[in-house]
Amino acid sequence: MTRGERAADIGWGLAGIALVLGLWELATRAGAIDPSIFPGPITAVRMAAGRLPASVFLDNMGWSLFRVTVGFALGAVTGTIVGFAAGWYRGFGYVARPLIELLRPIPPLAWIPLAIIWFGLGEPSKLFMVFLGAFFPVVTAAYHGITHIDPALIRASRSFGLKGVAMLFHVGIPASAPDLATGIRVGWGLSFGVLVAAELIAADRGLGFMIMNERNSGGSVSVIIVGILLIGLLNLVSDAAIAAFIQRRIGRWHGA
Amino acid sequence: MRQQLVQIFVVLIVVAAILLGLELGVRAGYLKAYEFPPASRIAEGFVELATVGFPTGVTIWSHILITVERILKGYTAAILLAVPFGLLIGAVPVLDKMTAPLIVFFRSVATLSLLPLVIVWFGAGELTKVILIGYGCFWVMLSNVVASVKYVDPVLIRAARSFKANGWALYREVVLPAALPRMFAGARIALGVGFMVIVGAEMIGTIQGLGALIMEARSFYRSEITVIGMLVIGILGFAISTGLATLEHMLLPWGRSLDRVQR
Repeated sequence: MTRGERAADIGWGLAGIALVLGLWELATRAGAIDPSIFPGPITAVRMAAGRLPASVFLDNMGWSLFRVTVGFALGAVTGTIVGFAAGWYRGFGYVARPLIELLRPIPPLAWIPLAIIWFGLGEPSKLFMVFLGAFFPVVTAAYHGITHIDPALIRASRSFGLKGVAMLFHVGIPASAPDLATGIRVGWGLSFGVLVAAELIAADRGLGFMIMNERNSGGSVSVIIVGILLIGLLNLVSDAAIAAFIQRRIGRWHGA
Repeated sequence: MRQQLVQIFVVLIVVAAILLGLELGVRAGYLKAYEFPPASRIAEGFVELATVGFPTGVTIWSHILITVERILKGYTAAILLAVPFGLLIGAVPVLDKMTAPLIVFFRSVATLSLLPLVIVWFGAGELTKVILIGYGCFWVMLSNVVASVKYVDPVLIRAARSFKANGWALYREVVLPAALPRMFAGARIALGVGFMVIVGAEMIGTIQGLGALIMEARSFYRSEITVIGMLVIGILGFAISTGLATLEHMLLPWGRSLDRVQR
């Protein structure tokens, strides 16, 4: 794709976004939708800014970001280690794999009650939920990656005298990096969704809490709408950042 | 074959050891039954759920039925909307370029974050849950339908053209069959999304459905019922996704290569 074509694509995309925002704004102005329950984009931002100071938005956003980052990091690291170990060491695989397969069909949100029972209503229960959101996609991807390495690679490295842990680190892990990357992106999206849900249902701060609290206390729809858009943007931007990072780190030898 | 036997043997031993450990740990007083409900409690709880029900009168079967009904309503609506829109967007490049960033954004919005807004609009009733499921399923399905049409192998289209197929015939004989496997995969992923969303949506504003069951059970300190609910949700999700995968292989045998790529 040439630079000109890419610019044209971006232009069309922006046109599409402008069209939707314009229609939304027009619909409220023309009275097609009731602005008191669905304010237009300009009104929503203005009203939300008037109702809550920017520091409240930033504070809640900070908490959400903190939880999702820490919980995701814990889940992704554990998932990677367990997945690689289960695929590389047969004995461990026999024990770990069925346990993972038994728990995996349970959607992360179904763990909320147990998370509260085990960890209470504080930070650990939120981190546990985010952990689950990241763990299952990553562990599955890591296991899949390491058990689907091209056998020619293994034979070649063996003939160079590589064995055991050295082979795992020099051949196994690099060869399964693309699978792992997919798992990490899926896991990040899932972690994010799970966190928002957990904050809606049981939390006293964070973006999910902010919008649910606004509706429970009969506050402003504008804050809810701005909150939802913020959640979407945050997820979009962070996912793009992770994708770019992955591309830079492993795109070099996989072109994907 | 021998490996499978070893695997089954190990699973049985590990699961039995965990269950026995919990049972003994609770009996000996090391673990709290509330935090780690032992198997004996879970079995009693299941009998209660299946006969008397929890809350009283609502058996596990009616919880399952209500959850499945909500998912199917939202899911069906989403698929019926997403397929025609997706086919249109996929076939018209300008439309695809205009909608691409919007679709990515709407997919990025965590479905459950819409809960407060939808409650403001439609109250905390059935419609709200169905709409949330519909939203989650719709965007996943839409992006898959668009991609299914857009990424049909150009070689297929060129080959068909050289056989003088074009217009509607080309679309019906080549594009649609080539796009179907990906669409079906999208439908399967969308159902999984619906399954995730329903559990969260049912935790607020209802006492019926599996999500409500596990949350209610917790507030009444009946953690064994929470665990049963989780297991039922897991089994249901597993059964549905396995069933759909089997159906896919039966209906679209030419789509197997795609399946290999995606897993």
